[in-house]
Amino acid sequence: MNAPGRQGPPARGGWVDWLEQRVNLSEIFSFITHFGLVYTPVDTQKPVREVLREVAAEPVPRYAHGARVLGLLAAILFGLQIVTGVLLAYYYRPTPEAAFESTRTIVRDLPGGWFIHQVHAWGSWLLVAVIVLRLLRLFWEGLYRAPREVLWWCAVAMTWVVIQSDFTGRLLTWDSHTYWSTVRGLEVVWAIPIAGPILAFLLGGRTVNADVLIRFYVLHVMVLPAFYAAFLYLTFATLRRVGLSQTGPARDERPIRYREHLYSMTMLTVGLFAILVTLATLLPLRFHGAADPYVTPGGVRPPWYMLAPYVLLQRLPLPWLSGFVMLAAAFAVLLLPLWLRRDETPGRRLRIRLAGAAVLLVWLVLSVLGALLERR
Amino acid sequence: MKTPLVFLLLAVATLTAHAQTVPPAGPAAITASSGRCGVCHPAERVQFEKSRHAPEGVRCVSCHGGNDRSLDAGAAHGAGFRGRPARQDIPALCATCHSDEGRMRPYNLPVDQYALYQTSGHGQRLARGDRQVAVCSDCHGAHEILAPHDPASSVNQLNIPQTCGRCHGSRAMPGAREHQDVLKKYQSSVHARALFEQGNLRAPTCVSCHGVHGANPPNVGDVDKVCGQCHTAERRYYTSGGHAVARGGRRPECASCHEAHGVQAARPERLASSCAVCHAGDARRLDLGRRLWTEYRTAAAEVDKAAALVAKADAIPIQTEDYHARIEEAHTYLREALPAAHSVQPEVVAGFTTRARAVGEEVQKELEGKFANLRQHRYVLIAFWFYVLLTLFVLKRFRDQAARNR
Amino acid sequence: MPIPEDRPIHLPASGPADRRRFLTVLSQTFLALWGLGAAAVVGAYLKAPEKREAERTVSAGLLADYRVGEGRLVRHGVTPFYVVRLDATRVLALSAVCTHVRCILGYEPARRTLVCPCHDGRFDLSGNVLSGPPPRPLPSYPVSVRAGEIFVQV
Repeated sequence: MNAPGRQGPPARGGWVDWLEQRVNLSEIFSFITHFGLVYTPVDTQKPVREVLREVAAEPVPRYAHGARVLGLLAAILFGLQIVTGVLLAYYYRPTPEAAFESTRTIVRDLPGGWFIHQVHAWGSWLLVAVIVLRLLRLFWEGLYRAPREVLWWCAVAMTWVVIQSDFTGRLLTWDSHTYWSTVRGLEVVWAIPIAGPILAFLLGGRTVNADVLIRFYVLHVMVLPAFYAAFLYLTFATLRRVGLSQTGPARDERPIRYREHLYSMTMLTVGLFAILVTLATLLPLRFHGAADPYVTPGGVRPPWYMLAPYVLLQRLPLPWLSGFVMLAAAFAVLLLPLWLRRDETPGRRLRIRLAGAAVLLVWLVLSVLGALLERR
Repeated sequence: MKTPLVFLLLAVATLTAHAQTVPPAGPAAITASSGRCGVCHPAERVQFEKSRHAPEGVRCVSCHGGNDRSLDAGAAHGAGFRGRPARQDIPALCATCHSDEGRMRPYNLPVDQYALYQTSGHGQRLARGDRQVAVCSDCHGAHEILAPHDPASSVNQLNIPQTCGRCHGSRAMPGAREHQDVLKKYQSSVHARALFEQGNLRAPTCVSCHGVHGANPPNVGDVDKVCGQCHTAERRYYTSGGHAVARGGRRPECASCHEAHGVQAARPERLASSCAVCHAGDARRLDLGRRLWTEYRTAAAEVDKAAALVAKADAIPIQTEDYHARIEEAHTYLREALPAAHSVQPEVVAGFTTRARAVGEEVQKELEGKFANLRQHRYVLIAFWFYVLLTLFVLKRFRDQAARNR
Repeated sequence: MPIPEDRPIHLPASGPADRRRFLTVLSQTFLALWGLGAAAVVGAYLKAPEKREAERTVSAGLLADYRVGEGRLVRHGVTPFYVVRLDATRVLALSAVCTHVRCILGYEPARRTLVCPCHDGRFDLSGNVLSGPPPRPLPSYPVSVRAGEIFVQV
């Protein structure tokens, strides 16, 4: 967490001032605030100490409060993933020959390696959960309406990026189960009409080999995190303009101070970390031996978020039809804000919520169905 | 480049000289090894040209006599012409070359086949006037004789069962009715599976046990020697045990438990059940068999348990390479126990199984210790949570302080 | 790292204020332990393991300790192997795992053969099958002698 520097009496001629004359520290601080520290506008023309004092004195809405906390969690978890991911990348070698062996070295032979790996793996799980919950919450509260369309699009894009990150990250261990789960996932990707072959092309083709592995690796450690960070930035940048969501009747919206917000965030981070450590210790993910492209082990399923598309695209009688339905649904989610611009009546709002709940229910049923079909 | 041209010229010359008497034939009908015989016997010529004999100076006339320079049937089939050799003459005919050390030496071929043949069941029957019995050409072919290492050869390792089975697996063969299904039995055996399915050319076929040219069924009492050529360890223990001693003219041999031709893969659990075949009423001996099996089973169970723990440790993962090696060691002892069981002495088997069990138990104990260490992570986790809660408390205190100082 | 107060606490330097300051310092020290813990975990993790290269290259002892013709079993994980000294300078390393059903072979120095105790499979020192059921020859490993010590590349 970047603490905004010690604020002693000004003009002491310390290193802050030394630096201030050479770099616009306020601008850097302003940039950092775009990733969830605070969302008040900052006058970057002023020196950083003044900015900090102003910000500290500024009453801010309670961001770490209620359902809003999901956005903050998405930022904090991303930070944790970056830290553990970088540590893992120090030892990981993305070739089919070395991938499993280097993963095993990290997990088995390096001190604390298992811990970092398990925290990373469970972190991805939590991140997906948080991001999806956030999307659902935004939908339920109608937070896609003007002028919050960009926020909604960012939320959708982040969901997509996080799921992609999970999908690409799974393969990297080159464990027999994750390998074949990726193979089956790619089958689903291929079956999507029009978009599928394009996506599969970007992912490196149909056969999961060295080319695909290095591509997944680059996507996982460079491209997707960069996109995620960009969308995170865009989210908080948008928040500065449109403000925090004011949901429901005047609830406890007592403004707090920036310092309190920072403490809240630190507490959230500690709590999240503790939850991750607990999961990693009590429910560690297991290894199944190195993947052999010529031996398919039993009981391998597509990743859980692929189960519903799997049923739609490979088990239903008219796969192209259900594929197009799926594509249409995906675009409908994106176009939701443009669609539902009109002022709403309570009845209309209820109808939209019910429609969304129905879609979610169908998705859940299809996922369960996919899991059951796969069990046979 | 040059040779075909010469043949072409030769053929043209031949055609012009004997235009009236010769049926039209391609230029290839006349070759060095078949002479002009191929002109009238094209099918035989084609077969013979492919054979191992053709490039080595053996000619049609070497076996059939006559004159291969003449295209006139009378002259060609004239003086010294033997025609198709009679069956009873074939072994001696082949032996004119194949028993000649001088001729065979360059090829490093043995010269005792004829002598061996005469001792074989086939040769003795032939000598007694049985014309149905196998002679050289029945196994090796007549014109298309190929080297045994040629996969197309009828005496190639992979083809021998079929070659022998042409007679020994058929109803047409007189006598020995009990052996009619011998080919089928062999094909179901572990030996045939090793040969045909795993491609192990060292796996035994008919000739491995019965002999090649001196083919004969092994004598009673010799079976263990025959099988023991490959199954040396089993034979060693068998001869040291009680079964090797003949009692009342009958002696249990390999085939008594394992079958002669349809040998199946060894199944350790048969240690308990095989005894009943002969010792059905003998409680003491039946019990002995069960003890053999119990020794093996308990040891194998310990080793399996240890192997399962190693697999579990691999999935965590824990460093297990040493344990893998020790499991292999235990498996080695278990494997050794199976040949040792042929001594039908539980003490001998126990010499190996106790070692296997000891290794298995040791590995289990050590791995259980490591798992227990892992479980201690949970206690650390409890301490960690205390620390986390304290941290949250401190942070909350700081936050409240900040709120109060607003 | 805790965020320090931006304003000094305006209280007279009395007992409660001292106690409070003491508590604050204590809390800050407590929170700093997180940093220490993280540094310890990450440091231990990042300390580059030097043994990985060494794991592939196994020392089989000093050349001088081997008599000519002597063979020793080196129990290296799942790939145990025999190191045999052929003559004054030449050493070879041969897998000790039978290619038949993976029994551990024994070495007969008199005949310079490896013998399987399970089914009497025999191998010569080139790894060729001499007799018995093994379907494949034994693999061998590259050996190098550095400063009198034998190293085998597994």
